Amino acid sequence: MKYNVISYLIGEGIRNVFKNKKSTISALTVMFLCMVIFGIFFILSENISNIMNTVEEAQGFSVFFNLGTSQERISDVGEQIKTLEGIKNIEFISGEESLNEYKEGLGERGSALNGMEENFLPDAYKVTLSDLSLNEQIQQKVTEIVGDDLEEIVSGDDEIAIIMNIGKGIRIFTLVLLMILILFAIVIISNTIKLSVHARRKEISIMKYVGATNSFIRWPFIVEGMIIGIVAALIAVLIVGLGYNAIIPGLSESNIVQKLEITFVSFNDMFNLLMIVYFVLGIGIGIIGSSISMKKYLEV
Amino acid sequence: MIEFRNVSKTYITGTEAVNNANFVIEKGEFAFLVGSSGSGKSTLIKLILKEEEPTSGNIIINGKDTTFLKKNRIPYLRRSMGVVFQDFRLLPDKTVYENVAFAMYIVKATPKHIRRQVPMVLSLVGLSAKAKMYPNELSGGEQQRVALARALVNNPSMLIADEPTGNLDPDTAWDIMMLLNEINMRGTTVIVATHAKDIVDRMKKRVIQIDKGNIVRDDKKGGYDSEV
Ligand SMILES: Nc1ncnc2c1ncn2[C@@H]1O[C@H](COP(=O)(O)OP(=O)(O)OP(=O)(O)O)[C@@H](O)[C@H]1O
Ligand SMILES: [Mg+2]
Repeated sequence: MKYNVISYLIGEGIRNVFKNKKSTISALTVMFLCMVIFGIFFILSENISNIMNTVEEAQGFSVFFNLGTSQERISDVGEQIKTLEGIKNIEFISGEESLNEYKEGLGERGSALNGMEENFLPDAYKVTLSDLSLNEQIQQKVTEIVGDDLEEIVSGDDEIAIIMNIGKGIRIFTLVLLMILILFAIVIISNTIKLSVHARRKEISIMKYVGATNSFIRWPFIVEGMIIGIVAALIAVLIVGLGYNAIIPGLSESNIVQKLEITFVSFNDMFNLLMIVYFVLGIGIGIIGSSISMKKYLEV
Repeated sequence: MIEFRNVSKTYITGTEAVNNANFVIEKGEFAFLVGSSGSGKSTLIKLILKEEEPTSGNIIINGKDTTFLKKNRIPYLRRSMGVVFQDFRLLPDKTVYENVAFAMYIVKATPKHIRRQVPMVLSLVGLSAKAKMYPNELSGGEQQRVALARALVNNPSMLIADEPTGNLDPDTAWDIMMLLNEINMRGTTVIVATHAKDIVDRMKKRVIQIDKGNIVRDDKKGGYDSEV
């Protein structure tokens, strides 16, 4: 019995979709465009956060010790820093290594430094962070741990802040855009369903005389909204996927991308999430949009 | 059973459509509702269907006072009554069979029950042969039979008809009234609002006459006018 009622309601919903071809197609188009626009920004933000992750991985600061700090003290400090939260990696770089690196950097002219007896460069730890937002906090703790032996901490604080702000900005923008598109799509869907309800008002009034409950009357229209949402989602994911896979290979070979060593996220990695978002959006908007438009008609 | 206790209805426009109506229609009865145009017959029917709320008074249907019935219970009240109207109100894009089956889907009947019940009620109204036709392929009388079949298919305890023969020629109108009579003979309470004087006079059924919202006559075996 359940099966029968459900198949009837779905059948009616499908009938609605085809009955109002014009408004169905326009709602479908708008919904599809909203989803594509969202999809583009979703992919953009996924890629940017991917790029940012690789940039972030290298971010951190260096702790320089006063000349003459004992090796025991330095390794003791190293152990303490390791236990701090938000530390990804900590690497010891001795003064000698720094000097050699420096010399290499100077090339031919570096040989001039060969005569130097004593190393004037301090020992250091290079600390990278797993959580950039803890940057300041960690630096403060490190300062406390090293105490009097600290020469200085050198870090790219400004770059860290910029990276974090860009990331935050894009995420917020995508979210706001999503909200606007959702609202827009709800209005469009509810308008379509309104037309559909209007076209079937005679049927609805007969249903009421025969004793149909409001939820029963409502279902075919909700199904109609859901179908529009699902179809829009399917087309959108297809177009966005094909478009992405068509553009990326060419883009990857371009000079700038090669120079900046940017790698793109493969569409397959984003597919599942995008698909889920699309379907939740499609079905959700379908249900909400049709419920809004039914409210008025079902009074009395 | 339908009971009106001191029921009045004043529309928001100020029109007093029903004024202190009191009557009881017992289970299995056949009653005509007569009166000139605008006297309040349709309003009375809308009150029974709970399409309109009474301004004051109580309406008791099958032993239950519907005055304070919750909105979401109204569909279940309506399942106990079949309704037909002057304009048939069939769905043009559904066949005769589908128009009738439609009423059963709505009350979530089983497919088996639908397959059994629809042909039965179509044969009751004499339309078995036209099950696959569309409303615009039928005469007015046939369309009203479809509407009757739809009203009856869920076995309501009462049938309410608002000018069911208003759009039909006298012979067809008589056939429809005879069908209503047959339905009544099978135990269904039947209430018919009508202007069809000849038929009311011939059938010698109970007549409730309403004039400007007041019930002015209630004859057990009456005619359209009080002199008959
Ligand atoms: N929805 C409404 N709002 C305001 N006034 C109404 C409404 N429906 C009916 N009326 C008024 O109530 C009165 C009774 O109307 P009703 O339709 O009940 O008459 P009736 O007896 O069915 O007439 P007819 O025989 O022409 O169908 C009329 O004066 C009508 O104008
Ligand atoms: Mg009337």
